[in-house]
Amino acid sequence: MTERQNGGAEPADEYVEAEIHRMLAEDPAVAEQGITVVRRERGLVLYGEVESPHRREEILRRVAERFPDVPITSDIGVIRTQAPTQVEELP
Amino acid sequence: MIRIAAVGDVHVDQDVVGRFRPALEELPDCADVLLLAGDLTRHGTESEARCVAQEFGDLGVPVITVLGNHDHQCDQVPQVVKVLQDAGITVLEGDGIVLECPGGRLGVAGAKGFGGGFAGRCASDFGEPEMKAFVRTTNESAETLGKALRGLDCDLLVALTHYSPVPDTLAGEPLEIYPFLGSYQLGQAIDSAPTALALHGHAHHGTERGTTPGGVRVRNVAHPVIKQAYSIFHLGDQLD
Repeated sequence: MTERQNGGAEPADEYVEAEIHRMLAEDPAVAEQGITVVRRERGLVLYGEVESPHRREEILRRVAERFPDVPITSDIGVIRTQAPTQVEELP
Repeated sequence: MIRIAAVGDVHVDQDVVGRFRPALEELPDCADVLLLAGDLTRHGTESEARCVAQEFGDLGVPVITVLGNHDHQCDQVPQVVKVLQDAGITVLEGDGIVLECPGGRLGVAGAKGFGGGFAGRCASDFGEPEMKAFVRTTNESAETLGKALRGLDCDLLVALTHYSPVPDTLAGEPLEIYPFLGSYQLGQAIDSAPTALALHGHAHHGTERGTTPGGVRVRNVAHPVIKQAYSIFHLGDQLD
C-alpha cells in the first residue's frame, strides 16, 4: 500500500526524522523497531514490514497526528505467513 | 535426520491471532520441533503472551523459545514465561533441553543474548557504570549460553538466541546499529561447543545466512527476513 499524507507542506529536517524514528519504537500504540524513515525531497517515506494491516494503518495515523505538517508517504508491507514450500538441507 | 522449524519476531497481539495458525497446523507433517527466536510479543504483556499461547500452543510438535527485547518491555517477564509454560512452550534462558526425535537426540540451548557489537568494533567493560553494566550483561548472557551448550548430551546441538552472534546475518541493517543487534561473545559461546546450527532473530532488515568464526552455520529467522510462517532445516543426515 502506498499512501500520501499532507502533500504540499515543507519537508522535514533531520531532527523530525529522528523524532519519528524514535516515536515508532517508543509509542506503545506502535512499538515497531523495523520501520525505516527516509528523508526525500518531498517529505518522509516510511519503509518496512509489519504483522497486520491494522498496525500499518496505526503507524500512519499516529505519525500524521503527531506531525500534521510533515508530508509522509508510506510503503509499509504486511509480512506473509504462508507455510514454506522448500526446506534447507544442512549436511 | 532431524527436522527443525524456526521463526522469530512474530510480535503477536490480538490482531495477529490466527494469521500463523494455518501454516502451523502443517508442522507435525514436516518438522520434529518448532524453535522461536524471541520477540514473541509487541510489549511483553501477559495478555499478549496469552495470544502467543493461543497461536503457538498445542501444535503437535514441541515448541521451544527464548524471549526477545520486546518481551521485556513491560517488565512482566515472569508472567509472560508462566503463560507460555502453561501452554506447553519451553522457555530457555541460559539453559537447554534434549528432545528425543525420530532422527536422534536434539539438544537446544538458548538465551536472549544482548548487544555489544563485533570484533574490533565493540563496547568494552570500561568507563561509566552504565557502560560496564551494558557489557557485563552481554558477557553474562554469552557465558550462560556457552555453559548450557557445553552441558548438553545429544546427537545434534542447536543454539537459539534473539540477538545475533555474527555480523554476517545483519547485512542490510545500518552498520551504525550493529552493536544493538548482537555481539561477538554469543558467537564465541556457540563456537565453544560442537554446535551444528545457530538460530537468531532481532534483525528485521538483515539476511538469512552466515557462519561463526568457528564455522558454525547461523540463520537469521526473523519473520520479516524469511517472509513465511517459518523456515525448515534438515540436519544430521549422518545420524540415519
